[in-house]
Order: sequence, then C-alpha cells, then structure tokens
Amino acid sequence: MSRKLAVVFLAMLVLVAAMGLKTIVTAHGDGSVIMANGGAPAPPTPYKNGGAPAPPTPYKNGGAPAPPTPY
Amino acid sequence: MPGPFACLVWFVCMLCEAAVVVCALKKGAFRRYLLLNLYMGGAVLSELGRFKILSEYGFNSMQYRYFYFYSDAILTIFLYFALIALYSHVFSEMKAERYVKMGALLLLGGTAAFTGAVVLQSSAKLVTHFVVDLSQNLYFVGLVLTYVLWGAILKLRETRTRLIQLVLSLGVYFSLFAANYAIRNLYPPLSSVFVPLIQIFGLFLPLAWAYAFWRLPEEARLVPARLAVIPR
Repeated sequence: MSRKLAVVFLAMLVLVAAMGLKTIVTAHGDGSVIMANGGAPAPPTPYKNGGAPAPPTPYKNGGAPAPPTPY
Repeated sequence: MPGPFACLVWFVCMLCEAAVVVCALKKGAFRRYLLLNLYMGGAVLSELGRFKILSEYGFNSMQYRYFYFYSDAILTIFLYFALIALYSHVFSEMKAERYVKMGALLLLGGTAAFTGAVVLQSSAKLVTHFVVDLSQNLYFVGLVLTYVLWGAILKLRETRTRLIQLVLSLGVYFSLFAANYAIRNLYPPLSSVFVPLIQIFGLFLPLAWAYAFWRLPEEARLVPARLAVIPR
C-alpha cells in the first residue's frame, strides 16, 4: 500500500514541478507554443486568427477607474 | 510555402527519423525499444502528412494548422510513452514495472485533468485549446521526467551505454527547446535567430537515437564511476 501511495505522491510531485516550470518559462511568453516533434515549420496556433491586437474585454464598459467593491 | 532552407532541414529531419527505425531494425533493437521506434515511425508518417497538406493548402491554411497541432499532440503522447518505456528499462532489475506503469497512467490522467480544468476557463474552441495545451503540458512533464530518470540512472549506477545515450539525448533535446523558448522571450529582438533554430533542433533527437542504435551495441557498458576505497 505504501509503495502505491509513494507512486501517487511522486506522480503528483512531477505534475506540480512540470506545471511550475511551464509557468516560469511561459510567464512572459508571447503566446507562442513550444513544439518539439519533427522538423516541419510550425504554423501559428489555430485558435489565434490573424495578427490583430487583442481588444479590451467586452465586459469593461468605458474607461472610468473601477470603484472599490460595494461590500 | 516555407523557404528552401526550411524545406531542406525538414527533409533531412524526415530522413533521420526514418533512419532511426531502419538502424533499430538492422541491429535487432526494434522490439526491445518498440515504443521509441513507434514514436519515430509515427513522426515520419506525421511529417509526410504535414508535407502533403502544406503543399495542397499552404502554410497559413487552417487545414495545415489543425493537422500540425493535432498530429503534434499525438506525437507528444507517443514520446511520453517512449520515455516511460525507458523508465521500464532502467527499473527492470528492481521488478518495479507495475509501479512505473501505474505512475505513468496516473501522471497522464492528472495532466489531462489539469489541462481540461484550465481550458474550461476559455470560451471557444475548447477541443483545439485542449489538444494544444495537453501537448504543451506533456512536453514539460516529459522534461521533468527525463531529469528524474537521469537522476535515477546516476543513483543506480546504470552502465548500459545505449540506454544512457537514449536518455541523455532525450534530456538534451527537451532542454534545447525550453532554452530556446526562454531566450526568445527574454530577448525578443533575437527571435529572428532563435526561431529558425527550432527546426534545426528537431534533427538532434533522431540523429542521436540513430547513432545509439547503429554504433552502440546492447552489450556495451560504461566504466562505472570510480568507487572510493577505504583502507582498513
């Protein structure tokens, strides 16, 4: 039982380490992705259509400074 | 269509990937390292498919983009299992294969669950986001796993030369891409230098693995690290 738990613990530890490393490496990234399979030229990601700058979020109406929360 | 240099590197990369499978077959190592060879065989098929779609629809077409990223995700999963096969080889004498398999499946499931949880925050194209993000996350999991495996090899004083060459080349390969990505983001003006390097880095793993299968026999052993002799 303890060996199985050790395997679970190690798997979770590796997952946390990998996601932490990814956060560090891609924190200041330009949104591009790391591709490491084969020598084909990498295209832009399919869900980023065009090179236009991203607009502000639609739920922020106007440019007024946000007030403190009412509660 | 990419330039002639990019096409040349791509073609050479395809040849090197095919060479890995050919070398393994010639040296009788195909079945022993089945998952590594399946990964390389899959990479060759994927490159052929990419080339066909690129020549039919063009570089900026959605067909090429989708095929590229979906095939990349499948290849990354293959590479993950190839890495787990290397774990099984290293831990074979400890009879720990059952635990390696269990840990591998758990880690793959955990990565997929984490990716799904993150992707659910976005609003559109969930499947494509999931596929690309899973590929990215598995890449980093593979990077960490390779370093852990190298630590285990050092700790267990592994001497099988071919196995060490396979693991080390995988570690260098992962690290090259991560370093390239980090440098590109730290120094954006250098992107014009570092972006074309990505394709050239793609040559490293098939070349190193083909060398391992062709030149290093399975029986080859490294001289173990010098043991400390304590006089009595």
